[in-house]
Amino acid sequence: MSIVNIFEGREGHIAQKGGQSIPLACSSDSLAGAVSQRACVYSGARVVLNPITDALHLVHGPIGCASYTWDIRGSTSSGPDLYRNSFSTDMKELDVIFGGEKKLAASLRELAEKYHPPAIFVYSTCIVGIIGDDLTSICKKACLELGIPVLPVKSEGFRGSKNEGYKAACNALAELIGIRDYRPKGPSINLLGEYNVAGDLSFVKPFFEEMGLEVVATFTGDSRVEEIMRAQSAKLNLVQCSGSMTYLAKKMEEKYGIPYRRISFFGLHDMSAALRTAAEFFGSAAMKEKAEEIIRREMERVSPEIEAYRSRVAGKKAAIYMGGAAKAVSLVKAFQELEMEVVIIGTQTGNREDYEKIAYIIKEGTVIIDDANPLELKELLIRQNADLLVAGVKERFLAYKMGIAFCDFNHDRTISFEGYTGMVNFAREVSITINSPVWQLPVKRECCVGSGSQLASIQGVNDDIKEPCHS
Amino acid sequence: MISRSLATVNPCSMCMPMGSVLVFRGIEGCMPLFHGSQGCSTYMRLYLAHHFREPVDIASTALSEKGAVYGGSANLMQGLKNVIKGYNPKVIGIATTCLAETIGDDVPQIVREFQAQEPLAKDVIIIPVSTPSYAASHEVGYRVALKGLVQTLARKSKPNGRINMLVGSIISPADVRFLRRLFDDWGLEYILMPDISETFDATLSQDLPLIPKGGTPLEDIRDCANSKATLTIGGWVQEPGAGDYLEKEFRVPHVALPLPISLEFTDRLAANLEELTGLSMPESYERERGRLLDSMVDAHKILADVKTAVYGDTEMVLGITRIMMELGMKPQIVATGAANPAFAENAAEIAPGSKVSMGADFSQIAEEAASRDIELLVGPFTGRGIARRENIPLLRVGLPNHDRYGASHQLFLGYEGSMNLVEGMANALLESREWVAT
Repeated sequence: MSIVNIFEGREGHIAQKGGQSIPLACSSDSLAGAVSQRACVYSGARVVLNPITDALHLVHGPIGCASYTWDIRGSTSSGPDLYRNSFSTDMKELDVIFGGEKKLAASLRELAEKYHPPAIFVYSTCIVGIIGDDLTSICKKACLELGIPVLPVKSEGFRGSKNEGYKAACNALAELIGIRDYRPKGPSINLLGEYNVAGDLSFVKPFFEEMGLEVVATFTGDSRVEEIMRAQSAKLNLVQCSGSMTYLAKKMEEKYGIPYRRISFFGLHDMSAALRTAAEFFGSAAMKEKAEEIIRREMERVSPEIEAYRSRVAGKKAAIYMGGAAKAVSLVKAFQELEMEVVIIGTQTGNREDYEKIAYIIKEGTVIIDDANPLELKELLIRQNADLLVAGVKERFLAYKMGIAFCDFNHDRTISFEGYTGMVNFAREVSITINSPVWQLPVKRECCVGSGSQLASIQGVNDDIKEPCHS
Repeated sequence: MISRSLATVNPCSMCMPMGSVLVFRGIEGCMPLFHGSQGCSTYMRLYLAHHFREPVDIASTALSEKGAVYGGSANLMQGLKNVIKGYNPKVIGIATTCLAETIGDDVPQIVREFQAQEPLAKDVIIIPVSTPSYAASHEVGYRVALKGLVQTLARKSKPNGRINMLVGSIISPADVRFLRRLFDDWGLEYILMPDISETFDATLSQDLPLIPKGGTPLEDIRDCANSKATLTIGGWVQEPGAGDYLEKEFRVPHVALPLPISLEFTDRLAANLEELTGLSMPESYERERGRLLDSMVDAHKILADVKTAVYGDTEMVLGITRIMMELGMKPQIVATGAANPAFAENAAEIAPGSKVSMGADFSQIAEEAASRDIELLVGPFTGRGIARRENIPLLRVGLPNHDRYGASHQLFLGYEGSMNLVEGMANALLESREWVAT
């Protein structure tokens, strides 16, 4: 028996530490009819590539796929903003019948001429996979004709989950890497799986630079095509969002011999560990000392504020539902730093290894859930007595309607959560939502008909003795 | 007038299944199910949650590669079964996606098989509608779903003396509440559908139902074949839909009206209701009308000659353009993402000299705006890029509105709603110019 039992076939995807066997069932197709919170292959590819700010992202498909992903990511740019536009071949019935290849080729020409992008990503959607447009050869031709990289992203929605989309995106990125020769001035790194949501990078990158490291490319937050093209020149890859970028990190290790390390910029401990990991790798005593100096300085700076928030949230119970596992794991540690208890943890696309790691770091009694749906989340939030849900917009209103505090930790978050300052922001977010007076307002008002309220008694007095009542 | 550019840049429309959800969610106990890949449901849930700030559950048959190759019948059946088990719906509205349509699944046939073999399906009404994204925009998806609903459910019995009030285009929950209030105050007997007034704008309560409370009751939808007339409010420039079906099939006379935005179009709704019922408009609404006129007079100078761009859903755009003309404003761009020739004709008639476009995207609107000295944009939040770049104030009206609060509570229908529009436009201009109201 599973802890919640709504849909047949979902039993293996939910477990409680100390109860059911872990690891869970995972990495399978979503159950039909169960309102999975997952998206599709295209969505996975789009979220990985979209933050490349000066690239042109063209969706080959009907209009919907482009409409719903237009400017969807809160990834900010320090310069170009071509990525904030939505380009689509807007396939119509005739394109589906006769094929969309000509329209795609002509659109590529037209858009390149009008927008002069340094590269174009072309995403395939469900029907392109069905009607069989040859994306690869059209892109190859366009590439020769236009003189810029035109990269096919094979992201037909139905061919798996977001994970396959991440891979498709990484494959496209891999084609860009190595196009430019470049020699970094000193020790150099790439940041992988960092998307500059809400401008996160500005709270992270300066520390590495302070340590004397050159950040060659960021994959892909606030990046430019040019820096992706020379990413092969870095000496180390730091991988944050492991779900989306480990695949690329491995490819780069194979092809260019660049080793990678998994790190996270979220939470005080993880941020410090990331700086130490980089310093350790390059090995110079001076860099290590610099890292320690930054850590000391920053910790000293933020500790009083974090402490103030901690005192207001300690002991509260948090539920975590994330797209990928890396963020979920980081969140567990961050909640430890705030002395909060994690009672539910789940992801859309975690794999066996992820869930083993999660199971290891959580406490007895915590529920782990893979590919959750609103009905299961609702029941778990009640059963586990959660005070706070950390998730994305789809889950926000479920929590609110249930009277549960909520913190957005997805694409459309508008507040930076990374680095030391980000952790202060996070602590504040958690505190203001948990401690808001709105949760204390009476949902039901007491009905006063016939209850002899003040007003009724005043009127009564007036009627009886015909003089004003001053009480 | 149709977009000549090959690629669409910054779309001004959504896809067909999106429209169907706005209808299905307006039916009591109805759960929408998309037959297609998982992403469609997730994206549209996200999109609608952003707009309405409500939980939005849309099930998906989650077709994978196997389904795409061998057909989606097994997924659809399993999906239906799980929706019934999980949500206990009275109705399931199935909308197809591009994928399901392109692989050629015969959804009505699969549904019949499901109903024949599945005991759970006994008391559940299933309405399949065909809504491939490549065929048309969300407005057509809305119309097709509303028609499908009536086709599946309406049954002739005895005359009920009521009027069918079909909501023919996407309006806000506050707009729907306004219509109900108007008809109630008028003392009319009516059937209003779809009714999203509660389902997309639920109160905070102690329990969270599986399917939001509210929506048009099933008995009412069945009974609409027996009404004495149908008004499609916001069905002016739409192709034949539910109202025409009821007229053809059950001889219920049908009138398609514009959305009651502007003095003229609200008067037109009032005139139709008076004609139909023999009851005159309640006095309180005459006073509303007077207040609208008063507010138009108050604001006429700040709005005089203001060059505007109006874009979005067809009916909404026509109503807004009309009130702009009544105010002496100068609509320069009147655009919709839908490919709708009737819209173009009427828009050109309402606002002669304006640039009317259908099948438009925001790159075209932006180009026109740059050459026409636009001073005010009115439409969904998707125009914010132009507003930002060109430094033009934007009054957010209609779906989608993801970056401001209160989309569900915007009332733009009737005399009162038109007044909100007048004041909204005037204040948007004032704020941008930092003038003081005089």
